[in-house]
Amino acid sequence: MDSLVDASKQALMLLFSGDATLWTIVSISFKVSAQAVLYTAVLALPLAFILAYGHFPGRRPLIALFNSLMAVPAVVIGLTLYLLLSRSGPFGNLRLLFTQQAMILGQMMLCLPVLVAMGHSAIQAADRRAWETALTLGASSWRAMQTLLFEVRFALFAALIAGFGRIIAEVGSSMMVGANILNHTRNIPTAIALETSKGEFSQGIALGLVLLILALLLNTALTLLQGRGEMIA
Amino acid sequence: MSTKQELIAYSDLLKLYNGKCLLDIEQLVINHSETLLLTGANGSGKTTLLKILAGLNTPERCQVHYQQRTFSWKNARLPTRLPAIYLHQHPYLFDASVSDNIAYGLRRAGYKRDRTRQLTEEALIWSKLEHLADRNAKQLSGGERQRIALARARILHPRLLLLDEPTSSMDQSACEQTFFLIRNLRHEGVAVVVTSHQIQQLRLLADRHLVLESGKLHEVENSKHGVKPAPHKTGTVRVLPTRNQRNPDHHG
Repeated sequence: MDSLVDASKQALMLLFSGDATLWTIVSISFKVSAQAVLYTAVLALPLAFILAYGHFPGRRPLIALFNSLMAVPAVVIGLTLYLLLSRSGPFGNLRLLFTQQAMILGQMMLCLPVLVAMGHSAIQAADRRAWETALTLGASSWRAMQTLLFEVRFALFAALIAGFGRIIAEVGSSMMVGANILNHTRNIPTAIALETSKGEFSQGIALGLVLLILALLLNTALTLLQGRGEMIA
Repeated sequence: MSTKQELIAYSDLLKLYNGKCLLDIEQLVINHSETLLLTGANGSGKTTLLKILAGLNTPERCQVHYQQRTFSWKNARLPTRLPAIYLHQHPYLFDASVSDNIAYGLRRAGYKRDRTRQLTEEALIWSKLEHLADRNAKQLSGGERQRIALARARILHPRLLLLDEPTSSMDQSACEQTFFLIRNLRHEGVAVVVTSHQIQQLRLLADRHLVLESGKLHEVENSKHGVKPAPHKTGTVRVLPTRNQRNPDHHG
């Protein structure tokens, strides 16, 4: 128990003393996951819209597929991406393995099903009149889609935060395709795994605290936003 | 066939619902500046018909005759989308201010910011709701929403307005205000198709009365003047078999 208390004290000191190594790890984590969630959103939201409003064969199996993909373990994604990007793999000549780009790709693969599935339920639950009203007032299909997405923005924010939560804390994929290289591909979860295995609990706890505070801030922001939305509606 | 008054005509319209025939309309002609009352039992397909006319619901087949040209329904969607605007029974207002809602169509049409603001202000005055300009549209009452929706449609200068039960669940004064706005639109040259259960009130407003029954359109005598429609108008809204129809099935 004493060691835990000591480690926590040291962790706080590390955080507030501006330890360069620690904050580099934090910034890599943010940079990679923020890019991953952003790129995924660009792909996922139109896809979610097509799944909700499109009429084509195979639509329902596709929705079921995305729902099931939400449960795929990060290590499986990591392994798949590793095989694809390794020198002998089909994309080996891109030399992406053990780079931040590879980590972004892995996190995008993890994030995509979450954003598509949650985005799809949000859009499906949206009022269809919003879509028809936008069209009848002269909006193009693309513009009407944007209007509809704006109308359900609170649910979509929740999807983005859930997607971000899924990838900021994942170890498996980042460890396998990033390889935990200091100042390059070491992010919060891989650093925690490493420091814990070395018995350096204070840095692990400090990084864990950063993750917890982040989760708290994001969810508070979302709750405030949704509160405003409810007041209006 | 076409008269100089004709705005738009739809022919050979077929719509199936769950494999059953919902609408089978041989011809529907709508003229400039005329108000049509469309009635029918619940589930008779009034809303579906209005949405097909507005280009929002896909029929199995339909031909659209507009500006001396004939289009398939699919090809007609773009040219007719702008002149025809559909208003839901309970209009949908976007989660934005009343002004932004009214300006929505103008922005899509690429109007400049100053012009958009000016036209939006005029539209608010027209609907007598200028005091609500900055209010979020979701906070309005049913009657106010209907008036905002009418103003939002009118600002785009539609040739044809399709109103789905505009006065359902409205109190008397809100109804009066809505009727007043519809009457104004007619004087501005807008053709209006309106569905309603409040037949008595709307008959006073409508030039003619169509009934949708078993998927077919019948024209019935409009009791507005206590007589059948004036002769010069009888040929304008027709529910007649097309020339090539083998088995004419004439109703009305």
